[in-house]
Amino acid sequence: MNTTSNNGSMQGVVSNLTKQFRANIQTYAIIVAMIFIWILFAIATGGLYFSPQNISNLIRQMTVTSFLSVGMVLVIVTGNIDLSVGKVAGFVSVIVAQFQADIWNMILPDQPLLTTILSVIVGLLVGILIGAFQGYIISYLAVPSFIVTLGAQWAFNGGILIVTQGRTIPANQPLFSWIGQGYLRPTAGWIVAVGVIVALFYSMFSSRQKKRRYGFELSPLYMDILKTALYSVLLVGYVAIVNSFNGVSIPVLLLAISAVVMSYVSNNTRFGRYAYAIGGNREAARLSGVNIKKNVFSIFVVMGLLCGVSGIVLASYIGYGTVAAGQGYELDAIASCILGGTSTLGGEGTIFGAMIGSLIMASLTNGLQILNVPSSWQYVVKGIVLILAVYTDVYFKKNR
Amino acid sequence: MNDDNAVMAANGGDASSTITNPGDKDIILDFRNVTKQFPGVVALKDVSLQIRRGEIHGICGENGAGKSTLMKILSGVYPWGTYEGQIFFEGQELKLESRSIRQAIEAGIAIVYQELTLVPGITVGENIFLGKEPLERGAINWDKLYADTQRILSEYKLDIHPQAIVKNLGVGKMQMTEIAKALSENAQILILDEPTSALAETEIEQLMTILRTLKEHGVTCIYISHKLNEFFAITDTVTVLRDGHVITTQPTQDLSVEKLVSYMVGREMTERFPESHRQPGEIVLEVEDLHAVDPEESAREVLKGVSFNLRKGEVLGIAGLMGSGRTELAMTIFGEYGKITHGTVKLEGQILHTKSSRDAMVQGLSLVPEDRKRHGLVLIQSILRNISLPNLDRFATWYKIDDNAELKASRSFAQSLAIKAPNLQVLCNTLSGGNQQKVVISKWLMSNPKVLIMDDPTRGIDVGAKYEIYKLINDLTAQGIAIIMISSDLEEVLGMSDRIMVMHAGRSAGTLDIAEATQERVMSLATGIA
Repeated sequence: MNTTSNNGSMQGVVSNLTKQFRANIQTYAIIVAMIFIWILFAIATGGLYFSPQNISNLIRQMTVTSFLSVGMVLVIVTGNIDLSVGKVAGFVSVIVAQFQADIWNMILPDQPLLTTILSVIVGLLVGILIGAFQGYIISYLAVPSFIVTLGAQWAFNGGILIVTQGRTIPANQPLFSWIGQGYLRPTAGWIVAVGVIVALFYSMFSSRQKKRRYGFELSPLYMDILKTALYSVLLVGYVAIVNSFNGVSIPVLLLAISAVVMSYVSNNTRFGRYAYAIGGNREAARLSGVNIKKNVFSIFVVMGLLCGVSGIVLASYIGYGTVAAGQGYELDAIASCILGGTSTLGGEGTIFGAMIGSLIMASLTNGLQILNVPSSWQYVVKGIVLILAVYTDVYFKKNR
Repeated sequence: MNDDNAVMAANGGDASSTITNPGDKDIILDFRNVTKQFPGVVALKDVSLQIRRGEIHGICGENGAGKSTLMKILSGVYPWGTYEGQIFFEGQELKLESRSIRQAIEAGIAIVYQELTLVPGITVGENIFLGKEPLERGAINWDKLYADTQRILSEYKLDIHPQAIVKNLGVGKMQMTEIAKALSENAQILILDEPTSALAETEIEQLMTILRTLKEHGVTCIYISHKLNEFFAITDTVTVLRDGHVITTQPTQDLSVEKLVSYMVGREMTERFPESHRQPGEIVLEVEDLHAVDPEESAREVLKGVSFNLRKGEVLGIAGLMGSGRTELAMTIFGEYGKITHGTVKLEGQILHTKSSRDAMVQGLSLVPEDRKRHGLVLIQSILRNISLPNLDRFATWYKIDDNAELKASRSFAQSLAIKAPNLQVLCNTLSGGNQQKVVISKWLMSNPKVLIMDDPTRGIDVGAKYEIYKLINDLTAQGIAIIMISSDLEEVLGMSDRIMVMHAGRSAGTLDIAEATQERVMSLATGIA
C-alpha cells in the first residue's frame, strides 16, 4: 500500500472510491438509506417534506433526542446501556417547568433573566445528580446498567406523575422559551456557518499535515477536499433553507456545540481513550492501569448532564411540562447511535455517526407525522428500524 | 514395517507418488503435502505423515514447530480450504467445512486439549452427554444418562463417579472426563494435546493405563507432548516436527531421548539463547511467605506460602506445572487479583501496596500478561493506541492529549523493539503473535519499570521472534531492570534464567541457582516429589 496516491486518472479515482467505500461501507450504507428515506417522503408528501418550514422543524425536533444520543455513544461504547434517558429528560423538563410556573414567582418575582438562568442550572444539576446516582450504582456497586437504568426509568416515570400531579405545567415565560423556540438572526446564522466551514477545512488540512509528518497512510487530496466540500455544501444548504424561514434554531446551535465538544472529548482526551479501551477489551484495559469504575461513573454523569440539557430544551420548546414527557426517547437515542455505527459489542462508535443516525430517526418521525400516520404505527416503524439497525451492525462486525 | 514411511518423511518425500494403495486398511490417517500459512509465518510446510490404525502415535517438536496447527486442521478449527494439501481419513478425503470441531467429532476425530472444555458446575455425566442427553417424552432420562455414563467409564476403566461435580475433581480426573466425553462420541482417533502438563506422577500412570486400554479397543491415539520420556512409555511411533516440517517418523523402539532432542532442535542448544553477561545487583523485590485467597471465593487459598527475592539486572525464572499458581502470584503482586492474607511484598525495601494495576505501575512494577489477546491488547485498536494506553499521563492534561509526544514516544519503543508493521496505525489484530507480544512489552517498558514480570512471554511465537525477545530481555537486564520470567517451557527457563524458583501447588517449592539446575531437578520440584 502506498502512502499517498494522487493518481488522478479515472481508474485511480474509481479504485480509490471503491477502496474507501468498502472500508466505510456501513457509514455509506446509512447515508444511502437516509437519502432513500428523504426521497420516499418527498414523493409521498408531494414535496411538502422539503419545505423550509418543515426542514427547520425536522431538525429542531431532532435536537431533543439528539442530545441524548450524544451522551449515549460513550455509554454504549463502554458496553453499557441507559434506558432511563427518556424519563430522566422528562423528569427534568417537568421540574424546570414547575420552577418556571410557580417557584420563581414566589421567591424571585419579576426577574426573567435571573430565573431563566437559575432554571437552567436547576435542570442541569438534577440531570447530573441523577446521572451520578445511577453511575455510582452501576460502577461501584457493580449492578448491571441494564437493570439500574430500567428501574430508574420506572422510578422517574413515577416522579413525573408526582411532580405534575396529572396536569400540564405551563412554562412559557418568553426568555425561557427562547431556548427552545428561538432563532438566530439570518446574519448570525451565516456567520456561524462560515465559521464552521473554515474550521472544517482547517481541521482537514491540519490532520493531513499531521498524517504526512507521521508517515501514516493518506487518502488522496481530492477525496478529502471533496468530502469537506460536500459537508460545507450541506451546511450552506441547511442555513439557506432555514434562513428563508426563521433562521437557525437555538436548540440546533446548542446541539452542534454539544456534539463538537463531546466529539473532541471522545477523541482527544484520556477520558475518551479509556472509554474506548474499556469497550474494546475490558480486561486488557483493567490490566493497563485504566480506572474503569471512575471512567464509567463519569460517563453516566455526563449522560445525566445531557439528559438535563434535553429536558430544559424540551420544556422550553413545548412550553409545558407534560405527563408524557420523554416517552420513548431512549428508543430514538439508542437507535440513532446504532444506526450511526456504534457497536452493540462496545469499543466502537462516533458522535458524528450518531448525529447521522439521529437525522435518520428524525426524518422518519417527521415524515410519518406529515402523512398523519398514528403514533402507534410510528412506534412499530421505529421499533423495526432499531432491530434492522442492530442486525446490520452485527452482520458487518461478523464479516470483518 | 514403518521404514518406508521413515525414509519418505525424512527425505521430505512426496507421499502421493507412492500410493498408499487404497487397499492398505492399516493407514487410518494420511496427511499429504499439507501446508498452512498465516500472515507473516508459514506454520506447516509440505507435511506428509501417516498414522496407522490402532497405534499410539507421538508427535513432538518445540513450541512453534507446528503441532497445534496440524491438530487444528485435523479437528476442523482450520477448515478445508484454509490450507493446501489433502488429508485422507479411512481412505476418504477429509473435508471439514465449518469452523467448529463439531464436524470432526461426528467424523470420529476427537481432541482433548490442555485447556479443558468442561462445564465446571455440573456433573461428569451431564458433561459427557451435554447436547445429546437421552430423552424420554421430551424430558431428560436421567437414569439412562447415568447408566450410559457408568457404562463408558467402566468399559475404559476410568475411575470417576458419574455424578461427581466436575469442579470438585482434580485436574487428572477432569481430563479423564474429557476423554470419556470424546469416547462417548465413538471417536476413532483421539488426539491428546499435552495431556500430562497438569498431572501428578500417579495421575500420569493412570493416563498411560487408560491409553493402553483404549488401544485394546482399537482407538487410534495421537499423543502430543513436550515430555520426551513419555513417548518411550506409551507410543508406537514418533513423528518429529521442526519449523513446520516433518523431520522424521520412526518406530519408538528405534529412537532415544537424545535422538529426539537432536531431531527437534536440529542445532546446538546453546544457539537457541543469546549470550548474556549479567551482573545482578542489590535486591529489589522481596516476597516473604505470601498467602493469598481467590478474591471471589475467600475460602480458596491460591497462594500458600511463596517466598523469593529478585535482584536488579537479574532474570528470575519461575517454573511449575499448570495450576501451580505462577500466574496467580504475578497477578497478586501486580495488584489485580488475589487478596493477600499473610506475608509481605517489598519493593526496594518499602512494603508494596497495590490495589490496582495503576498502583503497581506508579510504583515501578509492570506485568506482561500470559494471554496477550485477552489481557494484553485491545485488538481492534492500533499499535499506537495500545502502546500509549497505560502511559497517557505522560503526554496528556485533563483536556488534551499531545499527539506529537505520544507518537514520538510510542515510535521510539516500537523501533527499539523492531515491531514489524508499516506504521503505528495498523490494528493489532492484524499482527503476528510475536509482534503483538512486542506491542505489549513496549507499552510496559514505556512506564519505566524497576521490575518487569513476564508471564509466558514467548508462548505461541515463532522461533525467530522468540530469539528477539530473549535478546530484548538481555538488553533490559543490562539496563538494570529486574525481570521475573514465568514460563512453561523448561528449556527456556533453563536457558534464560540466572536463578529459578519452582512453584508447586501454590507454594514456592525451591529456588535453584542456574549452575545447579537441571530439567530433572526442576521437574521433581514442580511435581512435588523433591
